[in-house]
Amino acid sequence: MPIDTKRVRGPEVSQSPSLFSCEPAVGLPTRGPRADGRQRDQVDIRPVFVRCGLVSQAKGSSYLEAGNTKLMCCVYGPRETERKDETDMKCGRLTTDMRFAPFSCPERGSWIQGSQDKDFSLMLHESLHPAVCLHKYPRSQIEVSVMVLENSGSVLAHAVTCASLALADAGIEMYDLVLGCSMRQDGASYVVDPSYIEENSCSSVSRENQGGLTVAFLPSLNQISGLQSDGEMTEETLTAGVRTCIEGCYKLYPVIQHTLTKAVRKAAPPPSES
Amino acid sequence: IGKPRPMVPNEGYLEFFVDCSANATPEFEGRGGEELGTELSNTLYKVFNNKHSVELKDLCICVGEHCWVLYVDVLLLQCDGNLYDAISIAIKAALFNTKIPKVHISSDDEGGREIELSDDPYDCMRLNVENVPCIVTLCKVGHRHVVDATLQEKACSVASLIISVTHKGTVTCMRKVGGGSLDPESIFEMIEVGKRVGKALHAPLMNLLQQEESLGKKRQKVGFLG
Repeated sequence: MPIDTKRVRGPEVSQSPSLFSCEPAVGLPTRGPRADGRQRDQVDIRPVFVRCGLVSQAKGSSYLEAGNTKLMCCVYGPRETERKDETDMKCGRLTTDMRFAPFSCPERGSWIQGSQDKDFSLMLHESLHPAVCLHKYPRSQIEVSVMVLENSGSVLAHAVTCASLALADAGIEMYDLVLGCSMRQDGASYVVDPSYIEENSCSSVSRENQGGLTVAFLPSLNQISGLQSDGEMTEETLTAGVRTCIEGCYKLYPVIQHTLTKAVRKAAPPPSES
Repeated sequence: IGKPRPMVPNEGYLEFFVDCSANATPEFEGRGGEELGTELSNTLYKVFNNKHSVELKDLCICVGEHCWVLYVDVLLLQCDGNLYDAISIAIKAALFNTKIPKVHISSDDEGGREIELSDDPYDCMRLNVENVPCIVTLCKVGHRHVVDATLQEKACSVASLIISVTHKGTVTCMRKVGGGSLDPESIFEMIEVGKRVGKALHAPLMNLLQQEESLGKKRQKVGFLG
């Protein structure tokens, strides 16, 4: 990781106080309801608050809040490609950038992009690429930039949703909205849309079937544009998990559609019946 | 030998780095191969990010103070498609071949710990690579999918699925790469085929590695890389 020489981060050997906290990391119970009242083994996603058009300078922007996870996305473009040698005559380019604010996670992150941030940016690019009609924007570049303000679980899934909404708000032609949903498998039960604690709790008992899965889905076309899984799971668990995430995306779809129509109505009110 | 991670003081860890040298393709000249290299390294981190692939507790020397850090460096010499599969097989073979010297801890005069490596080059610890997963890449070409695609086949595909399978059949990491979208049904098909191929890959590989090992000094060395 490149070292940031301009900002003072404390002495090299300093460590976060959370390591020394007295109570041991309690493994989350695998039975019973989850900490925020949602159900296990059911497609119970957090209620979502979405708004478009919060950044007036950007062509399109959106803000998404799901539980405590807050992120915002801005879209700039289509505009001329910066580097002439990479100009593609036939179709446009999509650049994605996903950053975590240093105050977003319980452990303070750094401003310089680490390898994990680059990984998320790449996943975001792969998820959005199939949905955008890039052939309609030859020789141009569309920039999508997501900033995570608070990371409280399933960040990549919500980033995908937020980014596709911002693209729609910017008027970029797309085949379909891309919605993201993630889930975490723990032993025999699973939780959909995990929170930060649920995602990162490493239980000391190593069980079979432990892992997380994130799916980016295009609802109208019934296509999966992004898929990523972690941990170790059997094939049946994975297949069931993908189906669960698809169901979660379908549940999210009406909310996103409603937000988009509201934003469009606000920007260009329909002609009044005379 | 390094300091263990603060969150898990009784385990060692692995660090991956993939270097795409300019030998592989002219595109990799200068910093061109860096992006691909980071993508490959990140995927490798995900593949090994579980408790069972490598026994990290074996890499611990002294809880909270010293542990073995395994630096896995991969150098690509030539690119003909299907990098992930080849890299994972190479890593499995390299980990099988790793010999970690046995360590003797004694306490110093001032009460500090002194680490002594045993002088005997044959007194070493081997890693158990039974559970190290192998990666299988499936490319979607048209309506069907292809395993182990060459560069030309990859150019025809819209998207591919990378799936890493252990010898038992558990999937440790799955990822979709490429700029196209996949049908859910075809994904399920690809997972099944990938798991079957991955499982079948382990047994012959272990046999071959053990065979090479048993040859020992009698192995014919052909040039530098043989």
